[in-house]
Amino acid sequence: MIEIKNLHKSYGKIQAIKGIDITINEGEFYGLLGPNGAGKTTTINILSTILKPDKGDVFINGIDLKTESKKCKNFIGIVPQEIALYDDLSAYDNLVFWGKLYKINCSLLSKRINELLDLMGLEQRKNHKIKTFSGGMKRRINIACALLHSPKILLMDEPTVGVDPQSRNFIFEALQKLHQQGTTIIYTTHYMEEVEKLCDKISIIDYGKIIAQGSINELKKLSKISESIIIHSDSELKNKTEIISNSIENKFDVSDDFIKFYCKNINSDLSKIINKLNAIGINITNIELKKTNLETLFLELTGRKLRD
Amino acid sequence: MIRLTLKDLKLFITDFKAVLLTFMLPIILVTLFTIGFGGISGGRKSNPIKLLVSDQDSTEMTQNIITKLDSLKELDIEQLSLTKAKKAIREGKRMAVLTFYKGCTDSIKNGNNVPMEIFYDESREAEIGLLQQALISNLIGMIGQQKIKKNIFNLIDEKNANLSPALLSSIHQQVEEQFEKLQSKNENPVTRGMSLKMTKLFADEEPNWALIQAVAGVSVMMLLFSVAGMGATLLEEKEKGTLKRLLYSPINPLEILFGKMLYTFIIALIQLFILFIFAWLVFNLEIFSNLPALIMLLIATAFACSSFGIFLASICKSRKQVESLSTIIILVMSAIGGSMMPYFLMPPFMKKMAMFSVNHWSIQGMYDIFYRHLPTIHIVNKSLILLSIGIIISLIALNRFKKHILKVA
Repeated sequence: MIEIKNLHKSYGKIQAIKGIDITINEGEFYGLLGPNGAGKTTTINILSTILKPDKGDVFINGIDLKTESKKCKNFIGIVPQEIALYDDLSAYDNLVFWGKLYKINCSLLSKRINELLDLMGLEQRKNHKIKTFSGGMKRRINIACALLHSPKILLMDEPTVGVDPQSRNFIFEALQKLHQQGTTIIYTTHYMEEVEKLCDKISIIDYGKIIAQGSINELKKLSKISESIIIHSDSELKNKTEIISNSIENKFDVSDDFIKFYCKNINSDLSKIINKLNAIGINITNIELKKTNLETLFLELTGRKLRD
Repeated sequence: MIRLTLKDLKLFITDFKAVLLTFMLPIILVTLFTIGFGGISGGRKSNPIKLLVSDQDSTEMTQNIITKLDSLKELDIEQLSLTKAKKAIREGKRMAVLTFYKGCTDSIKNGNNVPMEIFYDESREAEIGLLQQALISNLIGMIGQQKIKKNIFNLIDEKNANLSPALLSSIHQQVEEQFEKLQSKNENPVTRGMSLKMTKLFADEEPNWALIQAVAGVSVMMLLFSVAGMGATLLEEKEKGTLKRLLYSPINPLEILFGKMLYTFIIALIQLFILFIFAWLVFNLEIFSNLPALIMLLIATAFACSSFGIFLASICKSRKQVESLSTIIILVMSAIGGSMMPYFLMPPFMKKMAMFSVNHWSIQGMYDIFYRHLPTIHIVNKSLILLSIGIIISLIALNRFKKHILKVA
């Protein structure tokens, strides 16, 4: 559905994107994960047709974005990073205004607005001015504006910045519904929890380059660091090394007050290890889980944290 | 484009303060300027110029001259000692003193240079100009009459040296009587030749120039301030991210600019119409004397001003920049364009500079309609100039918009 080939974009001497290749299939929930300044927004701006790449090609549904950008606009919905709404208009009036730009007829637009207000849980506030809304509520209307023309592709540029937990849940639920309905979603964020929760596939971008690409499981496999369980105890652990090795299959390192077990699957191994340690009389005082996630993967690949 | 305009109009209407500032402030300023220029008391009767006179000669002749000057409707004479008169001028209470020095009468009788002088406040140059007009023609007439009379007497005495003093005195008496007769018939041969007859062209139907100046000057100046604010909404869209969202939509980017221009034009036109209707209702400005010409001129003015508002937005990077830059540009344009002082009081170099301002063409168009009552063709010319100014700055704005504003990413 979306094919990005060897995309380059510079702002003066600064190279924002240095040859990105991404293929996104129809109906996929695709995450672009990277720290601030990685090139996520530039990629979104190119996909949304308001920015022209210096080099490379983008095809959406086989249509070349360079030559037929206007055609593409009709099946792309974009949620910008900013809350792009008119504060002095009501939620309903904002939606009417943005909807009419897509030449949706009045009765259909009215129906669509009510559906979206319902989806975002804001039908009770539709006649209130945007300036009276909380940040999270504004974000929800911001998303609704992008969905008015029922786009096949939804581009979302960090749509949950500054959002309260309640609104975040509303947004996630709404996005999952859209995903189930077959909408292709491209979601940029620097919150790895969001990507892990929502996305089927991910590209991790740093300094304008893709440093890893694939599903979450595929990416986790890239990590050289194993997941581990660290058990703290007040028992004399070193004296019980032999008993532990006889009863538990996992490899481990032991020190005076803790044992570190290496796991293939931390979730299934955790209960087994605890039960066996209890059985051999080891008193557990604390448990630490060291999981491999996108954060640790990013750290491993770049030497920096995602939120740096 | 229409949707964008309607959205902006809706936003404008919901902003009570903006509505109040756009429509009420010009009305208040027009009222104040009209009062300030004396437009309410009626421009049909101009106030006489107050002139101090210090008569150090104190003869019957100088007092006669002073009485005659005081009888002129253009002048209001007050006699003071020279010291007190100079003090009054320094304190700004009066603008000039006409001084008759000792020996004035003798000099007139002997046909010599008359020792008199005017001391004036140079900061009141415009009023001094009016004073000169009123004073010189009459004063020279009166003094010149005395001098000529003296020359005639000398000539008679020279040519008739053989006549007896009694007969010569009788001839002098007869000449004197002839001068008196002519003077009483207002046929003074001296003043008829020397004085400048001042007749008002508009006579009793003279329109109220002060009102026209106040309404025309303030309306254009305030309009420029309003449109600068409206043009700045383009930058507000950019700052808030709504411009980016507009660009995401399938509309042509130029529709965004034209939508803003249409919105600014509509508000500008409404503002002008409200102001002129107010001037008609409250100050009896004859807006129906040539209504088609007035409508044409207002449309051209609104177009030129709204283009200026968009132009300002297109050359600035932020709303704050628009605020500062617009204040400077509008004040300069209003000063040279005749919004702050009537064009006829401007020095020549300012009159030349005025040609480059929107204010000038619009204000002069309004003078053509309300004051000079010129045919519509004169207003067509000025309207075309305004439209041309509007088109040129719109094209610059368009170019800047493409290069500057559209770079949102």
